[in-house]
Amino acid sequence: MAHIPDGVLTMPVLLGGGAVSAAGTWMGLRQIGPERMPQVAVLSAVFFVASLVHLPAGLASVHLLLNGLMGVVLGMAAYPAIMVALLLQAVLFGFGGLAVLGVNAANMAVPALLAGWLFRRLRRPGDFSRRTALAAGSAGGGAVAATALLVAGSLALSGQDFLPALTVVAATAAPVMVVETVFTAAAIGLLARVRPELLDGQP
Amino acid sequence: MMRLPAALLVLALSAGPALAHKLKLFAQAEGMDLVGTAYFAGGGKAAGLDGRVAAADGSPVATFRTDADGAFRVAAGRRQDHLLTVDSADGHAATARVAAADLPDTLPSGGMVSPAGDAALDAALARQLRPLREQIDALENRTRLGDVIGGVGFIFGLFGIAAWMAARKEKRG
Repeated sequence: MAHIPDGVLTMPVLLGGGAVSAAGTWMGLRQIGPERMPQVAVLSAVFFVASLVHLPAGLASVHLLLNGLMGVVLGMAAYPAIMVALLLQAVLFGFGGLAVLGVNAANMAVPALLAGWLFRRLRRPGDFSRRTALAAGSAGGGAVAATALLVAGSLALSGQDFLPALTVVAATAAPVMVVETVFTAAAIGLLARVRPELLDGQP
Repeated sequence: MMRLPAALLVLALSAGPALAHKLKLFAQAEGMDLVGTAYFAGGGKAAGLDGRVAAADGSPVATFRTDADGAFRVAAGRRQDHLLTVDSADGHAATARVAAADLPDTLPSGGMVSPAGDAALDAALARQLRPLREQIDALENRTRLGDVIGGVGFIFGLFGIAAWMAARKEKRG
């Protein structure tokens, strides 16, 4: 769903996505200190691998995105992490193209940043109860929904009809959204209990 | 923190031959028709997709729709290079090319010279070889475990270099 191949989008969309992603990656890189580097690397690798686990769903097979989880844990640093993983997916597996890398990165990383922001708004600092898990769940599910909207939007800007594209994209995104809401809630809930300092050490 | 990604990694690697979420199109000439299948690399058939056939210069020749198995059959009409495209409307597209030389020379051609051949034999051979060619096509697009591990290693290496640079800067500063 989220990996658009080369040759589908038009040039203005490609340039726009590229510009957003260049800025996002640069801003994200400035946020990564030496002590956070391993965390970014681990989540980048998880994101890279998550796209290879496929679940059959309706017309196509779907895979987890985990961009909500990335945004919640990494904040701004999620952008370069997603960028690196997407670049390798494109080079090694042909998931998405190289020319559309910027658009694909923006479609996944911008929702990640929004999810991180939403999580920090919904959750009170120092709170490690169920509220944290609920906030994480909404961030995870919301990120998938936002990615679906952005993918349909990129297709629409390239001349495809928005509503049919959104219908197909949403049909594949809906099961991912459910799974990802549960997964992100469980993952962050666990993190809040065993390593709470990772959540409150955010900039 | 590390336990969860590790568990996910194990899950991913144990998924057997990982399925790629990528639309693929296979097409070849069979008699006077172009036949083939649309599928998602490593897995499911792409049913009910609209496809287009175009000549080498891009002019449209025909349209088709894949059946429940992702298969299609469309008449070639002329002996020329054909470019086939399928589009799943959600941002997946794939193309395949069928060369003029694969079509029988009984079809009207655009000035192509071809060796004389037995059309019936050609068609029978094409039918026999099709499963094999489809299999090779699918195999080529399968995600390999080595690529996955290589990619993960690449990511850690990249961030390792970045951490090294950052540490050097900090030591100096």
